[in-house]
Amino acid sequence: MNTIALNREDIARRKRVRMIFTVLRFALILIFLAIFLFPVYWIAVGAFKGEGEFYHYPPVFWPSHFDFGNFLRGMTIFGGTQGLITSLIVAVTNTVLVIGFGVLLAYGMGRFKVGGDNMSFFVLSLLFAPPVVATMPLFIIWKTLKLLDTLPVLFLSYILINMPFAVWVMKGFFEDIPHGIENAALLDGYSRFHAFRKYVLPLAIPGIAVTALFVFIFSWNEFLFALIFTRSRTQTLPITLAGMTGGHQIPWGEISALSLIAILPGIILTLFFQKYLVRGLTFGAVKG
Amino acid sequence: MAGSAGLITLETSQKRFARLMALPGMIVLILLVVGPLVYMFANSFMLKTLATPLPPRFAWFKNYGDLFTDGRFWNAFLNSMIIMVVGIPVQSVLALIIALLLNKKFPGSKIVVALFLIPVMITPVVAGFEWKIILDNRFGPLNFVLSFFGVAPLAWLAKPALAMASILIMDTWQWTPFVTIVLLAGLAAIPKQVYEASSVDGSTARETLWRVTMPLLRPMFTLVVLLRIIFIFKIFDPVQILTGGGPGISTETLGLLTYIIGFKNFNVGMSATIAVVQLIIITVIAKLFITLVMNRREGKQ
Repeated sequence: MNTIALNREDIARRKRVRMIFTVLRFALILIFLAIFLFPVYWIAVGAFKGEGEFYHYPPVFWPSHFDFGNFLRGMTIFGGTQGLITSLIVAVTNTVLVIGFGVLLAYGMGRFKVGGDNMSFFVLSLLFAPPVVATMPLFIIWKTLKLLDTLPVLFLSYILINMPFAVWVMKGFFEDIPHGIENAALLDGYSRFHAFRKYVLPLAIPGIAVTALFVFIFSWNEFLFALIFTRSRTQTLPITLAGMTGGHQIPWGEISALSLIAILPGIILTLFFQKYLVRGLTFGAVKG
Repeated sequence: MAGSAGLITLETSQKRFARLMALPGMIVLILLVVGPLVYMFANSFMLKTLATPLPPRFAWFKNYGDLFTDGRFWNAFLNSMIIMVVGIPVQSVLALIIALLLNKKFPGSKIVVALFLIPVMITPVVAGFEWKIILDNRFGPLNFVLSFFGVAPLAWLAKPALAMASILIMDTWQWTPFVTIVLLAGLAAIPKQVYEASSVDGSTARETLWRVTMPLLRPMFTLVVLLRIIFIFKIFDPVQILTGGGPGISTETLGLLTYIIGFKNFNVGMSATIAVVQLIIITVIAKLFITLVMNRREGKQ
């Protein structure tokens, strides 16, 4: 009797402790979430703030009225439209080029160890190298070829940034496809290219698509090469943004509006392709 | 016998085909890399600037000697090291706490994890601007929040130590979520039975964390630390926007210094030299990555 009562009390106490822990856990999760999302929130509300609200103390956490003028001025007088269009052209073209050249190389490396360990090491070293080391030699080469401030220079330069990534990650996706699929197709009398196209490629499509999305975002976000290789004619959105601080008063509202546009593709990728994010960002080391 | 011989030739001809398919990609990559690389190595042995009309002169290892005796190089090297030595441990601990909080699934946990990850893919230039606004000493929300704790307004971007702290705060904000998701993947891979065995043994939660969870997470920590080191060597845009290396040269990183030597001082030779030094360091790290991460994984399979 006594022991049962004790046990009941014990169970009730344990339940209470567990409840407290659960509440504490969710409270902590919410606090961390609030901290990490605060800067994104600040961009979003900043995009709608009136100019005076950036120079106001205490800071304005919610704009008094939502002002779309920031977007309008950002897109027109601050050159946002041109930046946006250039960024889109560069990111799409680069994605097509990188995936186009990369997919076959990744296929060869992933399934048939083309180039062996040396090729793998070469690609991985390129992937790890800081892009800034390539800026000076490329600058001189592009300058000699009179390519500075043209779109092709960005197409080509971004291949250097993104192709090692794309090849490395797609190579992992090809490795995941069961071996011998090609042989089965060949024994059925299909040509080698047909075996690749009809048997291997369909299985690799999801991986290729996700890699393409990453490449798109990396080109879209890129700043350093665009800063050095472009002037006024082929400014991408990050360059437009960086150039907006030139005047004596910084137009924070317009900067926030264009920033909000700039970060949207990345946010969409994060929210909808979260499953592949670990894999992409760890260069395939974690399958997720 | 005949059958297996047939298969071998099939395999070799298949490999020949794969090599042919890989060729265009390889050519593009090698053309884009080898040309600039050779050019860079050559330049690192030359006294060559774009600022003067003097013809370039071959100077053996003079650039390397000058670089290694230059205080500004060691300042940048030290700053990059500070970001690693302070940032990575702080981010790892924070990420471990968040990963443990998120490890047990709950309704909507997938969305919460996705929301946590948003900072990782934010345009780096925007991250720089955003923290510039948040850290503003007069109108920024951070000083406003700190004022409730009795902290007088801090001039975040005007004082060297605080500017370095600002960069660490920004880096921690952007990359802790990345570390978190890697550790989460590691936690998810630990079989339930391991925890059950530990609780049957009568271990407390803390003992389980230190004796079971942490050792099993070690490969993930290795991976994350190596990747973070690589990312910190690459860091440029957000620092350029947030502090521009200032005040003075107090937050100049190796990446920024490489840019400044090349495109502010127009010193082609020295810029190539510092690039070569970074490439050598990165090659060593890539070798480490292969032995510690890739080979280990293949060994397991």
